[in-house]
Amino acid sequence: MTFFATSSDRPRQDSGHGVKTVDYTSNVLQLFIEGLDAHPTAQVLDLGPVCQENIRFFARRVKRLYVCDMFIRLERCLGKGDPVDRIWHELDYPPESFDGILIWELADRLDDGEVRALVKLCYTLLKPGGMAVVLVLGEQAARLGVNSFVIGQDFKVRLRSQYHLHLPIRSRQNRDILAMMTPLKPAKSFICRPGFMEFLFIRDR
Amino acid sequence: MLKKSKQVDTGNKSSIIQTPVEGKTIIGEQIIIDGTIRGKEDLLIEGSVKGRIEVERHHLTVGSKGQVEAEIQAANVTISGRLVGNINAAEKVKITKDADFNGEITAKSISVEDGAYLKAVIELKREPHKKPVSVVKPEEKSASEPVKEPFTLAGKSSKGN
Repeated sequence: MTFFATSSDRPRQDSGHGVKTVDYTSNVLQLFIEGLDAHPTAQVLDLGPVCQENIRFFARRVKRLYVCDMFIRLERCLGKGDPVDRIWHELDYPPESFDGILIWELADRLDDGEVRALVKLCYTLLKPGGMAVVLVLGEQAARLGVNSFVIGQDFKVRLRSQYHLHLPIRSRQNRDILAMMTPLKPAKSFICRPGFMEFLFIRDR
Repeated sequence: MLKKSKQVDTGNKSSIIQTPVEGKTIIGEQIIIDGTIRGKEDLLIEGSVKGRIEVERHHLTVGSKGQVEAEIQAANVTISGRLVGNINAAEKVKITKDADFNGEITAKSISVEDGAYLKAVIELKREPHKKPVSVVKPEEKSASEPVKEPFTLAGKSSKGN
């Protein structure tokens, strides 16, 4: 499959309140919404972190929005020293339930085996032709800690720190991410800033 | 005023179902209710409730110590404690950072604080002039479900990677 990448808006650094914010315009989210618009009964799963603005954004655009915050589940699981595979049972939805899954940067917080388990599960949960949004932060953005990606007007995305989450970051090359996302197929990618990329994956029909 | 059915266990403390503030009933920490609650005033739950709660024109609050497993009908709902069940709110559902919620929410609007422990299905009530929303759970999929249109990625200007 042809694989594309373009530069998106450059991030804006803001030192207000001692917290760096990175804004960018999300092309992948725009494509994701355009894809959902074709389905008046669309169902979307958001894997978190919980974000009020995004819940409102998607709940107004899809028939039913499912939110299962896997970031906070991962945090609690690691805190207890439990094996990570225990959190996957939370995604106990019927197969082929969703037109879209928002994975965000969850893969960056998991080791390779855990990413493969997540991808396998997401593949099962997606309807044929369903889409998955994946972000890869890169080292610079990763230093900001765990963030939610707050969707604003015209798909402007602002990162908001999630101070209650303290998850490990696994820096990977983009090609490694692509390999781990199999059997989902890459459809589009966009460079938001050096090392920070957005991907749209699709389940084959 | 509050009506309750089946069992009320007050424990050994003085905590009781009370109305200390005008128009608001509080179910204290030591109260356990198993059954249906119907009321015509605001309700704050700090105890345990299992069953059904109907305060249709009023505000239900599950306080930080509240443990609720129930089907809920209310005008507004605020969750700061633990709630398992489905909420049908005429107006707004507010989920605070201390909340642990698992269930379905149907409401006109919703607010959620960062840090809330959430597993939810959210359906916002649409304005009457907009397309009505029917209720179909994932497990209720059937052969009659509309076939998806082919998904075409929009032709954003992009260059090869």
